[in-house]
Amino acid sequence: MTVWTPTDDGFADLTSHDTFARGAPHNTFARLRRDDPVHWTEWDGGEGFWSITRHADITEMNRNFAVFSSARGIRMEDQTYEEYLARRTFQETDPPEHMMTRIKVAKAFSKPVIAKFEEDIRTLCDEILDTALQHGEFDATKLIARQLPMRMLGRILGLPDEDLPWLVEKGDALIANTDPDFTDHVLDRMTTDEFRMMPFNSPAGAELYTYAKDLMARKEAAGDTSGVLHLILQPGKDGSVITEEEFRNFFCLLVAAGNDTTRYSIAAGIQAMCHQPELLGQMQEGGAIWDTAPDEIIRWTTPATYFRRTVTRDFEAHGKTMREGDKVLFWFASANRDEEAFDDPFRVNLFRSPNKHLSFGQSGPHVCLGMWLARLEVRVLFQELCKRIKSVEPAGEHKFLRSNFVGGIKELPVRVKLQ
Amino acid sequence: MKVTWNLPDGAQITADVQTGTNMMEAAVANNVPGVIGECGGNLSCATCHVYVDAGWTDRTGDAEDFEDAMLDVAEAERRPESRLSCQIEASDDLDGLVLIVPQP
Repeated sequence: MTVWTPTDDGFADLTSHDTFARGAPHNTFARLRRDDPVHWTEWDGGEGFWSITRHADITEMNRNFAVFSSARGIRMEDQTYEEYLARRTFQETDPPEHMMTRIKVAKAFSKPVIAKFEEDIRTLCDEILDTALQHGEFDATKLIARQLPMRMLGRILGLPDEDLPWLVEKGDALIANTDPDFTDHVLDRMTTDEFRMMPFNSPAGAELYTYAKDLMARKEAAGDTSGVLHLILQPGKDGSVITEEEFRNFFCLLVAAGNDTTRYSIAAGIQAMCHQPELLGQMQEGGAIWDTAPDEIIRWTTPATYFRRTVTRDFEAHGKTMREGDKVLFWFASANRDEEAFDDPFRVNLFRSPNKHLSFGQSGPHVCLGMWLARLEVRVLFQELCKRIKSVEPAGEHKFLRSNFVGGIKELPVRVKLQ
Repeated sequence: MKVTWNLPDGAQITADVQTGTNMMEAAVANNVPGVIGECGGNLSCATCHVYVDAGWTDRTGDAEDFEDAMLDVAEAERRPESRLSCQIEASDDLDGLVLIVPQP
């Protein structure tokens, strides 16, 4: 039994967040991969865009940043140049500018530095699971998946524990800015003009701006140099210092990205365990499975459904010409189900190797800064979970986030039996 | 040109590499374990870290600024002969090059 069967009719509207509230439209992606791998969509919410859906094409185009630029925005929605300048982070830059920021934070998120957090993560997982598993039936997104990533990010950034629940809420409002469960300012349902200079067009962006500024002032006054934030305020090799605006946008990016991506990988992994009962036993046997299981869970989830690029000069592919200035969406959600790249892509195979999934934007300069942390959190969480339970099964309908940008299960009712 | 990768377990992989290809792409194409290249050769991940064998370092040259910074991010210990293999391009001058894949 596969985990869930996509129900779209093969012609889903990719611009509609409601489409994705029923799960990613994989029948549509399969049709596009087969018949129209460079697909044009007209859109009444902004300029139209091209969709790239094949794994091989995304891999090739993603590395070609000279043609497929990040410097004009990374989401489907259009931005004016003024908005772009005010809101951009290093996600919205191309090399070599991208590297100027990236090298300031890369060390803190590197594999050897992150590996040192393993015991911290295990302790947090113990606490979280011991609390959640007291209930026989519960929402696994809320009680398990939502808990770990922000608490861990707080440690890495050097944030006070008592601020973390507030940050989770703000991070949700930022990135789930199209889901009324997470924000009062639903992006496509009301005018958010007042906040258009803020990250994610969201008033939560404004609040996080203020928080970041106050936090750094407090830390400076106390001589506290712990965490990554201090690191990126240091001058670069060329003496350049990050501007206040850049810093605040980077902080918002960390809160948003560190908050929900790994959350949804954990949720989708638990959902997979519900529907493929053999996974639990495989995990319990342990061993080499832990070298491959995290990446398979993260492939299966694809928390970042797509990222956008903008074409800098006319570019031809599969008989279509993308014109200078056109928006192009790399649909990682589609690439990760591409039959040409994965055997039996709609099945979770925790031993899958090699696993050339693109959930972290692999093959391009913007490959996820937090990928080692994500893999480690997923591994430790499932190691600890499988030790404690005898079975896990659905206890009601799961609900997907209303967003075509973030793919996640926002409610996951489960029933567990303990060992 | 020919390139040889010495693996941590003592095994060797030798392959013909086209001029202009970088050593990360060559390693991935030849299934060299331990050279991953998650950022596609864009200096963002340090997963293609190798040691250049003694005798070849003069010809492969030194790491430039960004590469130098990213070498601090690699999983294995950094050494004077450390390079990101995506930044070494195949050329006739490097025929016979030997690269050592670090122990993770």
